[in-house]
Amino acid sequence: MYKLTDAEELELKKRAVQLRKNVLAIIKAGDAGHIGGALSATELMTALYYKVLKNIDPKNPKREDRDRFLMSAGHKCLIVYAVLAELGFFSKDLFSTYFKLNSKLPGHPDMHKLPGIESNTGSLGHGLPIAVGMAVGLNIDKSSSKVYVIMGDGELGEGTNWEAAAAASHHKTDNLVVMVDRNKFQLGGKTNDVMNFEPLADKWKAFGWSTRSIDGHNLKEIVDTLTDAPFEKGKPSLIICNTLKAKGISFLQDTAASHYWKVSPEQVVQAEKELDAVAKELGA
Amino acid sequence: MSDKKDPRKTFGEALAEAGEKNSRVMAISADSSSGSQMTMFKNKFPERHLEFGIMEPGITGICAGLATTGKIPVFATIAPFVTGRNFDQMKVDLGYMKQNVKVVGRCAGLSYYHLGPTHQSLEDVALMRTIPGMTILNPGDPVEIKAATLAMIEHVGPVFMKIGSDPMPVLFDESKYKFQLGKGITMKEGSDITIIGTGTVLCRAAEAADILEKEGVSVRLINIHTIKPLDNELILKAAEETGKIVTVEEHYTNGGLGGAVAELLAQNCPTEMRMIGVNDQFGSNGPYDELIGLYGLLGPQIADTCRKFLAKGKCSCCGG
Ligand SMILES: Cc1ncc(C[n+]2csc(CCOP(=O)(O)OP(=O)(O)O)c2C)c(N)n1
Ligand SMILES: [Mg+2]
Repeated sequence: MYKLTDAEELELKKRAVQLRKNVLAIIKAGDAGHIGGALSATELMTALYYKVLKNIDPKNPKREDRDRFLMSAGHKCLIVYAVLAELGFFSKDLFSTYFKLNSKLPGHPDMHKLPGIESNTGSLGHGLPIAVGMAVGLNIDKSSSKVYVIMGDGELGEGTNWEAAAAASHHKTDNLVVMVDRNKFQLGGKTNDVMNFEPLADKWKAFGWSTRSIDGHNLKEIVDTLTDAPFEKGKPSLIICNTLKAKGISFLQDTAASHYWKVSPEQVVQAEKELDAVAKELGA
Repeated sequence: MSDKKDPRKTFGEALAEAGEKNSRVMAISADSSSGSQMTMFKNKFPERHLEFGIMEPGITGICAGLATTGKIPVFATIAPFVTGRNFDQMKVDLGYMKQNVKVVGRCAGLSYYHLGPTHQSLEDVALMRTIPGMTILNPGDPVEIKAATLAMIEHVGPVFMKIGSDPMPVLFDESKYKFQLGKGITMKEGSDITIIGTGTVLCRAAEAADILEKEGVSVRLINIHTIKPLDNELILKAAEETGKIVTVEEHYTNGGLGGAVAELLAQNCPTEMRMIGVNDQFGSNGPYDELIGLYGLLGPQIADTCRKFLAKGKCSCCGG
């Protein structure tokens, strides 16, 4: 387990604000985007890419010994674009092409358009099965690489996830770490109203996973937990990350409407102001 | 062309109307009730609206089960997830079991223009055409969407209907329009060439026909709103009378309307064809009109394809 120092935590908090700004910059170039799920996963992505994932190299994105990250809920890709650009996988100049013809930043990620993307998600319920295949393959090769996945909580409705959940524990993929971004909203409203999957941790446990539940915006807790996986030898790890949809933008935060935001210029200005204020407070 | 309407909204209004007429009609949602414009139905008949979240294959089976108890489930959501994602359920539970379920794929074709291939559906008709007994509807304007929705609910048997999301111009006069399942509509008589359009790009085909007409070409324009069963008679007649057939669809050029027409003609009246649509490649992303322009689906582009087709075989210097 890796314990973040206060100084390291502050550093990561600054990074997280920058990633939120990147998400906003991308959306601003078009006229809409899936902002809610991008911002609820911002701390998770910050921790992953700045502290957890090993051998992630923008100069050699296909390094064989890299850890793999899959954004199973592909509509959350704006935060993936935000971090990959920040790390230098591609230029931030691409942000302005969002929504333009043949843009390399479509509304769902394409591994053949951008370096650093591991799978073409967007149709929900594809990421976890692919990740299980990767985890099994890496185990066969005796690789020490791990596979990390972020899933949406609404996405859990897809049966393929539960097929993969059974397969992962059957094949003892303890190199697989899955984070459920438990922002409690899906497209049509609150997850527990649309289709209730509680008690969630019990379901995963019953499928043979080792589970934990954390505050998905607390960087210390995230890093602690991620670096402690596998929680049990021989079992895949599942982390329920309690988050707020559209975290960080007051008028969108914790609302169903933040799922797909049709931007108005005034709201963009207000959102930018709010993020700037947080950055200033952190001394960024 | 008059004002434009949101095809989903038109569908939603027709669904609510159908719910009024028939108490067995149910609206089934996969976390997309409002996006599929089922809110009006839900408000009127809350007990006949069911939400299941994001589980399209399972929901398709659930619809088949509901149908066995006499309900008429109308399951509407994003097109690829109710054709490709759940294909086995469509084939077995609806097709093989012959269940009276209506599946509506919305935002079909390229209309999820910037969301990329996972959300675009260029193969929906091709997939559904392989299922015996599956009726396939692809209405071409708001008047036709309303009529097709009501007709699909009256028809007994599995139906797949696709609609786009880009606002559609009104092409038909509602007071005169009559929808007959399986019967195409000749929108314009002509003798030099036939353009057969369907669905979201029927208006583009109509635009091309107007352009060519002004140049003195006699264009027959046919609207095929029912891709299966296909109106064989109308298409064979056009092939015999005009030769040269051009199909226009927001779909792959294989397996869709073009494929269906080609299969018919090859066996009954071999006729030279051009098929306009997306050619064996995943769709790109970008603003809708620019995107369909990549695949030659804009009115002037369709006219151009027709012009070249008509000029083929003619002498380049004298046109004779
Ligand atoms: C198979 C499939 N069905 C439906 C959709 C449409 N869709 C996109 S996002 C979404 C809601 C996802 O909610 P959740 O997984 O909770 O994501 P988050 O809250 O993190 O944005 C839906 C229904 C899809 N992308 N894929
Ligand atoms: Mg969610």
